[in-house]
Amino acid sequence: MTRKIKGVALSLPLLLIIGCGDLDQPKNEKVKGGEVVVNFSAPLMKKTLISKGVIDANRTVFGYKAFKIPYTTTDEEGNEVEASGLFVIPTGMPSYISKVGLSMVSDDHGTIFANDEAPSVIGDNNGAPDGSAIILTSMGGFATLQADYIGFGESNRHYHPFVQKKSLANATIDFIKTVKTFASDNNITLNNQLFITGYSEGGYAAMATLQKIESDGELTVSMATPMAGPYDLNITAFGVFSQPTLSVPSFMADVGYAYAKTYGKEVSSVINEPYASKLPALLDGSLARPDIDKELTKKTTGKDGLFNPIFVKDFFQNPNSWFREAMVENSVHAWSPQTPIKLIHCEGDDVIPFAISQLTEGTMRAMGAKDVSLVPVESKLKLDVNVTHSECGVLAYKVTTEIFSKVREAMIKQAMAQQ
Amino acid sequence: MKKIITLSIVTSSLALAGAYKVPEQSLNSMALGAAYVANTKGADTAYFNPANMAFMPSSQYMEAGLTWAHLPRNTFRGFQAYSATEVYPADNESEIENLQLPFLHYVSNPIDKLRWGASLTVPGGLTKRWKDGHQKLFAEEFTLKIIELNPVASYKISDNLAIGGGLRLIYSEGVVDSDGGDIKPIKREMKGDTIEFGYNLALSYRPIKDVNLALTYRSNIDLKEDGDANLYLSNVGKQYNTSVTVPLPASLNLSASKKFIDKYTVEVNYERTYWSAYKKLDFKYGSDIQSALVEPFDKAKPKKWKDTNTFRVGISADVTKNITVMGGYSKDESPIDKKYISYELPDADANIYSLGVRVEASDTLSWGIAYLHDEKDKIKIKAGENISGITGTFSNGGADLVALSMQYKF
Repeated sequence: MTRKIKGVALSLPLLLIIGCGDLDQPKNEKVKGGEVVVNFSAPLMKKTLISKGVIDANRTVFGYKAFKIPYTTTDEEGNEVEASGLFVIPTGMPSYISKVGLSMVSDDHGTIFANDEAPSVIGDNNGAPDGSAIILTSMGGFATLQADYIGFGESNRHYHPFVQKKSLANATIDFIKTVKTFASDNNITLNNQLFITGYSEGGYAAMATLQKIESDGELTVSMATPMAGPYDLNITAFGVFSQPTLSVPSFMADVGYAYAKTYGKEVSSVINEPYASKLPALLDGSLARPDIDKELTKKTTGKDGLFNPIFVKDFFQNPNSWFREAMVENSVHAWSPQTPIKLIHCEGDDVIPFAISQLTEGTMRAMGAKDVSLVPVESKLKLDVNVTHSECGVLAYKVTTEIFSKVREAMIKQAMAQQ
Repeated sequence: MKKIITLSIVTSSLALAGAYKVPEQSLNSMALGAAYVANTKGADTAYFNPANMAFMPSSQYMEAGLTWAHLPRNTFRGFQAYSATEVYPADNESEIENLQLPFLHYVSNPIDKLRWGASLTVPGGLTKRWKDGHQKLFAEEFTLKIIELNPVASYKISDNLAIGGGLRLIYSEGVVDSDGGDIKPIKREMKGDTIEFGYNLALSYRPIKDVNLALTYRSNIDLKEDGDANLYLSNVGKQYNTSVTVPLPASLNLSASKKFIDKYTVEVNYERTYWSAYKKLDFKYGSDIQSALVEPFDKAKPKKWKDTNTFRVGISADVTKNITVMGGYSKDESPIDKKYISYELPDADANIYSLGVRVEASDTLSWGIAYLHDEKDKIKIKAGENISGITGTFSNGGADLVALSMQYKF
């Protein structure tokens, strides 16, 4: 008896011993070639937008489903770079859309500095709809493609080739091609409509993308609406260097830094110390613009200015200055696009002057472009006041969405009539 | 996450006798409603008052048993407010819980004035599950399992004075699931565990024959549950390293017992439980979580529990040479103010009634059965009184427990 009781007593703890399993990974929807990072249903999206005061209850709103997609692109030097982007599709669409397919909008994002401001990083980190894709996808019903650009997202370790047309166009076009494959692999029906847009640096990138697409001839673009971009970099640089102060020093510091890296120049030959030495850390993707601006001077040039006075003097006086040649080489205003273009810009823009779009429109027409026009946002929306660069973004996207919707509507009508 | 040994038989735990501390860990303690500190007799002396081991007759003692606990549904009638304009009817009932809790005690033969023992118990824990409604957003499941291995020793200073103490080795697991369902598109699955250490002390004094006085103390142990959490925003989830700390609070027991006419023993007990150690429920994540989830899942929830008093009385009667009948009553205080009460533990003041019988089958073997009923007061919360937006009445809850055990002396 004693033995039995001892046995029971000793074995009881052993009976209780068992391994405790790990917590399983989240049960997310599996997709081929990417991952779902945001999935807001149409009712949730509508509830969210109503609560934010963006829409009223009568407005039709679609769901917002976003995928983070890795892909490969090419940098300014021709090297392959592992990059990433965000692909957003509307959900809860009318059934006929599944027959017609979704129209794509390649939307190039504006200037960012912090890596967590990149589209796919925002989607991944926040798990919530964000930015212009809300307008284009949830309110407009378009499939929105947002490349992170080289220097952000998966390629965060690479410097960002700020306003440099080859890599921006590569990053955008390679993402469009990747998304087409992704959509096919995951039963997402796209139609042949491809729209191109982007705001600020994104406006510039959109124009660079369109130029390369027309040059390559692989893709067909239905319409492009570059918005508030610095298409003529040379004129922009002349304007900036002519001013004694810089309204946003981080923008021009990034230009100087990125161009020095791409063109094999010492950063200190472009940017004065101590700023030149600070820039690698300031521009490594860890800081947002306000934090970078605090570390820089607003004085344009001179011994205590941001830009090396020798560099600035050379830019002004030497027609063969490497920087002037780089500005000309990277400008995207002087060519003759075959695709319809609407240049969208606020007349009150205080960062990228409206005149840049006027100049671009005039130059393109003079070079033979038949369907380029300028759309001043204030006039289009019948606003009484001029709107600044930062306030213009949302309005410009609304105008763009309206313009693209009309083009799409015509296509859908035609497709339905053919059926 | 590290693989940890656990006690599978403890499929869940229970909230009983003041928040999530469970004092009843043997047949006698349950039958006497935990008024069982001064007059401990069997192997469970190792747990309830190790100093008393010094006064036990020379022999080895062992007790093994199992408690079945039935936790009825908590009923809530009222409203849940998320803001001044978001107020929803929230009538609901929590799930019924049926649990099994083991206990195991041992006391060795004396070695001169020294003696040692050990206990394996479930000294605390809670589980609360709300399968739907607004409550699911707060506590789809909130489970805390606590298992204690408590090796102890005693030293006999004199024939009427002894001291004791031991090491508390705690293994604990926590599960926190919450799901907004159709109400809010957010969800959390969290699982963690930890091994922690503490101590306990005891003093026994027998001033005259048949009178025992005792003082015991169990140290606070912060249970830092380390693990992983899956956080979902609208069906898309990410996994984070996570930790959350809850205290297993310190407690001080003062007890006195008196035996009358060699047959009846009455014990009165006062316990002070230092719940004020539980200031907040604060989940820590290994990296920044999604901004929309910070408010519900990352922001520390104030708890601000208060220290509590519990008064107990237990009576045992040796009705025959071989049969002892026991009964007890406790008045138990909840540490949770209405302002901070939440669905994971709608604890209230309670009246606890218990009874039991122990039968000596032979000189060496005895067995017994005990029953305990925990009757919780209703909790009425007025509008604006609770920081989590709860307005209404919690009722029912409580617990019914049955313990079966065998004691062996050899």
